[in-house]
Amino acid sequence: MNNRERSLSGEAVRLEGIVKRFSGVTANAGIDLSLNYGEVHGLLGENGAGKTVLMSVLYGLYRPTEGQIYLKDRPVAISSPAVAIRAGIGMVHQHFMLVPRLTVADNMVVGWETLWGPFLDRSRIRRRIGELSEQYGLEVDPSARVEELSVGEQQRVEIVKALYRGAEVLILDEPTATLPEQEVESFFATIRALRDEGKAVVFITHKLREALTICDRVTVLRKGEKVGTVPASQATESQLAEMMVGREVVFEVQRERVASEGQPLLRVEGLTAVDDRGVPAVQEVGFTVHDHEIVGVAGVQGNGQSELVEAICGLSRLRQGQVMVDGEDLSGAPPRKMAQAGLVHIPEDRHRRGLILDFSVGENSILGRQYESPFAIGQVGQSKRAIAGYARELVERFNIVVPGVRTPARALSGGNQQRVILARELDRKPKVIVAAQPTRGLDVAGIEFVWEQLLAMRREGAAILLVSMDLDELLTLADRLVVMYQGKLVGERKPGETDKQEIGLLMLGGAVETA
Amino acid sequence: MDVLSLDIMVAALRLAMPIALVALGETFSERSGIINIGVEGTALAGALIGATVAFFSGSSVVGLCAALGVGMLLGLIHAVWCVYLRADHVVTGAAINLLVIGLALFLTRVVWGWRGTSAAVPTLNPWILVWGMVGLIVLAQVYLFRTPWGLRLRVVGEHPQAADTAGINVFRTRVAYSVLNGALCGLAGAFLVNNLGRFSVGMVGGRGFIGIAAMVVGNYRPIPAFLAAYLFGFVDALQMRLQDVIPSHFSIMLPYVLTVVVLAGFLGRAHVPAALGKPYIKDQG
Ligand SMILES: Nc1ncnc2c1ncn2[C@@H]1O[C@H](COP(=O)(O)OP(=O)(O)OP(=O)(O)O)[C@@H](O)[C@H]1O
Ligand SMILES: [Mg+2]
Repeated sequence: MNNRERSLSGEAVRLEGIVKRFSGVTANAGIDLSLNYGEVHGLLGENGAGKTVLMSVLYGLYRPTEGQIYLKDRPVAISSPAVAIRAGIGMVHQHFMLVPRLTVADNMVVGWETLWGPFLDRSRIRRRIGELSEQYGLEVDPSARVEELSVGEQQRVEIVKALYRGAEVLILDEPTATLPEQEVESFFATIRALRDEGKAVVFITHKLREALTICDRVTVLRKGEKVGTVPASQATESQLAEMMVGREVVFEVQRERVASEGQPLLRVEGLTAVDDRGVPAVQEVGFTVHDHEIVGVAGVQGNGQSELVEAICGLSRLRQGQVMVDGEDLSGAPPRKMAQAGLVHIPEDRHRRGLILDFSVGENSILGRQYESPFAIGQVGQSKRAIAGYARELVERFNIVVPGVRTPARALSGGNQQRVILARELDRKPKVIVAAQPTRGLDVAGIEFVWEQLLAMRREGAAILLVSMDLDELLTLADRLVVMYQGKLVGERKPGETDKQEIGLLMLGGAVETA
Repeated sequence: MDVLSLDIMVAALRLAMPIALVALGETFSERSGIINIGVEGTALAGALIGATVAFFSGSSVVGLCAALGVGMLLGLIHAVWCVYLRADHVVTGAAINLLVIGLALFLTRVVWGWRGTSAAVPTLNPWILVWGMVGLIVLAQVYLFRTPWGLRLRVVGEHPQAADTAGINVFRTRVAYSVLNGALCGLAGAFLVNNLGRFSVGMVGGRGFIGIAAMVVGNYRPIPAFLAAYLFGFVDALQMRLQDVIPSHFSIMLPYVLTVVVLAGFLGRAHVPAALGKPYIKDQG
């Protein structure tokens, strides 16, 4: 165990010829990768390129089918996460691995406890967490329960958790996907601090600009193969995008002007809603979305956007207020009624609200319509053939990368899970679309695709409410922007007449309403 | 008649003990994610095998060990079915219950020639066991909330994937606590034999299920679960005294009615471990 004392320089990890096959799918096809101490190494690739699988192999979650891992030039077999942790490897997963009901401290130490005799030494644990959080500028409260924390806070908990276990190689799987833009800069400062201390950091992202900002070297994967490793200082966004996709990406959406007929398809009035704990989260919110219109909702996470969306879609009880869909009062109607009235929802939490992970892609693709023909036969029967046929059609049309429609949704890469949801909802030819963070975790091609789809729906006349943390996305797509702050709408702007800075200020409650 | 004497409170402790043991065992098992409704049958198996072995060996201690052994075996079988073969927990548990009843009818007939009961078997001073168990329950509470193993157990039942990524073996943990549950249920059965001095097929009489109820009322915590079990034991003791006052058909119902009433009040309030009853699947293509 004394190899923890090693000097932190030179090569930390080398992966040679890593192959990982899942019954039939080759997720990694012979990948070489070298990570140095004191470097931030970017890992890029489209959805399903194999980034998470490769890192899971390094972390001992998957056994490689072929290939060898070297730690400090010594060949090792990492047979389980326990082995990886002992070897100084830490991983912050794309979907957090925290128990909501336990405290931050308990979550951090489980499996790697500091003891006093046979007991947990909770005071020493707290002190150690305090030291780490001070050292790296990662503010966490050890005695808070994880369920009370925002996504950004949970992420800090995950990082400190890895550091607590003595990680010197730190894998961060899409850490910025759920982070509001305002927090990205301080997050980068933390990464730099870790690097300067000599740690090897792997940074997985879909945002090319971020990769170029923070990384020293960048490795690009495509369809399970490594395309190459380049120094970030010599790379450009378009070059990386081309490496990822294998063709040039024109990252420009056609946002033609379409005239609205002024029909209010979604109308919300005086809506008040509470969060899970019963605290008022949305207060007296009202707005209208017309046909052929996209209204963007900006705001720092946790300012009531999630509760607003859930209240509109009938997923949580409405405290007060009205929701009208195409002139019909549907306040507090159940989701099925909403769907029948032509309102679809693209949920922000795709695991909790969007998919049943253990169900197949086919079954997931008809969720919400399972009672309709041709999927249902009578009251109880199900037509497997109709479901599979429909799912195959969606997979084709929406470019979803799946081994087959019988594969459980769990086995899909994050981006492809999102595509399944999008395909299912948009294919219902909705009148109103409520989309929450629809491009979270998607690669460039995926984002382009979603944007095109949303714009196409707009062209066909849909009213779209778009909730997003990504200001670029909002400014690109929305016809009008409203900003949410502490449960209220604090401003409305037109994208052409505002900029990121002004919106950013409004999001922080920093400006008074002028509109 | 002096119904609420110290005497009855102490007697209640003895009647509560089998229920408390099952509640404790099930607490450990469900905290790890495994539902075992087979506790009823497992306790019966502990009683049956404990009595049989005590009868032949002439030693109550050897009988006790046999009861523990058979409980662990059933716990292991349940775990293997649920953890590795991903069988439905409730179905497997129900199968254990049915299996043991059949076995009890068969064995009592073969050994003693009567259907469903045994001859008298050697017993032990119950109070050694009773006070030992009270100590065990306090220890269990400390174990669950103050030690690393207790923390790991709770994480396995709440979020097995998180446990896995923290380097904890989910499968082994679940099997281990299922076996522990079996052991405690076996002990509960042995205790019933010890109270009665013989084995009888109906002797568990729902105490396994009441034990599960006590666990729910105690919100998956050993000491509160014990207190709930004690309440059931107390009503049981009271019921015996009341038999001179009201018809026994009614008084005998008391503990069961209480179970239903209390459970109805607590069921929604208890926090059920998030991964309870769900198999953990580790993708290894
Ligand atoms: N457990 C599994 N069983 C079967 N196939 C899997 C499993 N895990 C991943 N895959 C497949 O392996 C491929 C690579 O997946 P991976 O999760 O590594 O992608 P990724 O690069 O992380 O993508 P994203 O950016 O969407 O997260 C995908 O095609 C996925 O469907
Ligand atoms: Mg991934």
